[in-house]
Amino acid sequence: MDVSAMIPELLSALPLTLAITFTALISGFCLALIATTLRVRRVPLISHLVDLYVSYARSVPVVLQLFVAFYGLPLLVILFGAKDFISATMAAMVGLSLYHGGYLSEVMRPAYLAVDRGQHDAADSLGYTFRQKISRVVGPQAVHFALPGYGNSIIYLIHNVALVMYIGAADVMATAHLIMERDYNQFQFETYLVLAVIYSLMCLVAWLIVRFFELRSPMQAPEATTTTPIKNELLASV
Amino acid sequence: MLELKDVKLSYGSTQVLNGVNLSVKRGDVVSIIGPSGTGKTTLLKCINYLAKPSSGTIAFDQIRMDYQRADKTAVQAIRLRTAMVFQQFNVFKNMTVLQNVMDPLVVVQRKSTDEAQEIALRELERVGLTPKRDSYPSQLSGGQLQRTGIARALAVRPDVILFDEPTSSLDPELVGEVLKVIKDVTSSGITSLLVTHEMQFAKNISNRIVFMDRGVVAADGSPADIFDAPSSPRLAQFLQSELAFQ
Ligand SMILES: Nc1ncnc2c1ncn2[C@@H]1O[C@H](COP(=O)(O)OP(=O)(O)O)[C@@H](O)[C@H]1O
Ligand SMILES: [Mg+2]
Repeated sequence: MDVSAMIPELLSALPLTLAITFTALISGFCLALIATTLRVRRVPLISHLVDLYVSYARSVPVVLQLFVAFYGLPLLVILFGAKDFISATMAAMVGLSLYHGGYLSEVMRPAYLAVDRGQHDAADSLGYTFRQKISRVVGPQAVHFALPGYGNSIIYLIHNVALVMYIGAADVMATAHLIMERDYNQFQFETYLVLAVIYSLMCLVAWLIVRFFELRSPMQAPEATTTTPIKNELLASV
Repeated sequence: MLELKDVKLSYGSTQVLNGVNLSVKRGDVVSIIGPSGTGKTTLLKCINYLAKPSSGTIAFDQIRMDYQRADKTAVQAIRLRTAMVFQQFNVFKNMTVLQNVMDPLVVVQRKSTDEAQEIALRELERVGLTPKRDSYPSQLSGGQLQRTGIARALAVRPDVILFDEPTSSLDPELVGEVLKVIKDVTSSGITSLLVTHEMQFAKNISNRIVFMDRGVVAADGSPADIFDAPSSPRLAQFLQSELAFQ
């Protein structure tokens, strides 16, 4: 048995890992949008419940959130009179979606609030409806403010996917442990190294995508010009 | 054409407008002067309901609204017939100069892109910004930003244009270019309300001056009435301090 044999085995768990990641990315994004809308519009009671959810998602360790999903979801399903069909993978998807959604909402809300009040005033004064104002003016500017934080939140999500093995989902991390145990831990270091490369690549791709959108932002121009002197300063200080 | 009656507004426990009465005729150029913090900006914002008074009424031609029963249709109707130029410019930061002027025409007035562009280019020509049409706000000077704001306001063909201290945020050397554009706009016959600290300019372009003090209209008259024969000690004192400052 040589080292390279475990690489394809590890990679065979990649589709499931990516499936969990993308599910959490997409449903987390939708959750965050809804949560942010409810929070900035301050609907009585509902806004408080959403605040509570966000602080749960942000303050409870992700491992714990996964356990809560893993043990809580079946109870919920049974409560609604269905048979328990929740697998570890599904629990992982739900748990991470909730985590990512709450976390991301705390990226989106400050980004929305960072848009100058005057931009709202100008759009309102010209007769834009709320939707037109958001889609034409406030939204695009908020996206600009949110992008760096969004990039970080994707990277945290990718890292936290590694925790799903604790509830028994078979991602690359769990598979790595299976391989190592089976092979009497002879290639532990190598296996972890391969894992590190896989995670780095996933994060790199995510970062590149976010960076692409950052550079396309029309509001990029000020930063592009104002950071030049800072760069020179940094160079000068070396 | 525009009449505000007994408009009251407070932020929390501070009463900002204490029953403002103001009536403006078509073609009037009214300059509103007064000390900082007396509610001049707030008054302008009551007209397009960016500020929400607790009581009072507004009549805008045939549109009538009681602020205690503000309704969306009336607010929208007024907003479609007024345009505001802001102290802080409030040019849309995610759009080029040209897009700023076109966007309300396309989005709110549902004009075709071609028509909107034609109108926008004409207004940009008028304020002298044609060469900057494709620049983003971050690449412009304050004077250019404000002229973009003015072009955007003119492009929607408002019946009334509201200027809120349009030159107060500008570096002194940029004030002139904006005042020149405002003078051109007000002399074209469009009804204008102008909050300003540029006393000489107000005197030259206005047919009426309104002096606001402590949340009410404290004096209202022709430039000659107000500047040459101030009716109250507070007005005289205010004018003196403004003129001394200039
Ligand atoms: N959004 C707001 N919230 C609370 N207070 C405000 C707000 N806008 C204005 N004010 C207060 O209302 C008063 C009048 O403001 P403003 O209309 O801007 O005066 P002016 O334009 O004459 O300088 C000031 O004391 C100001 O601090
Ligand atoms: Mg003001």
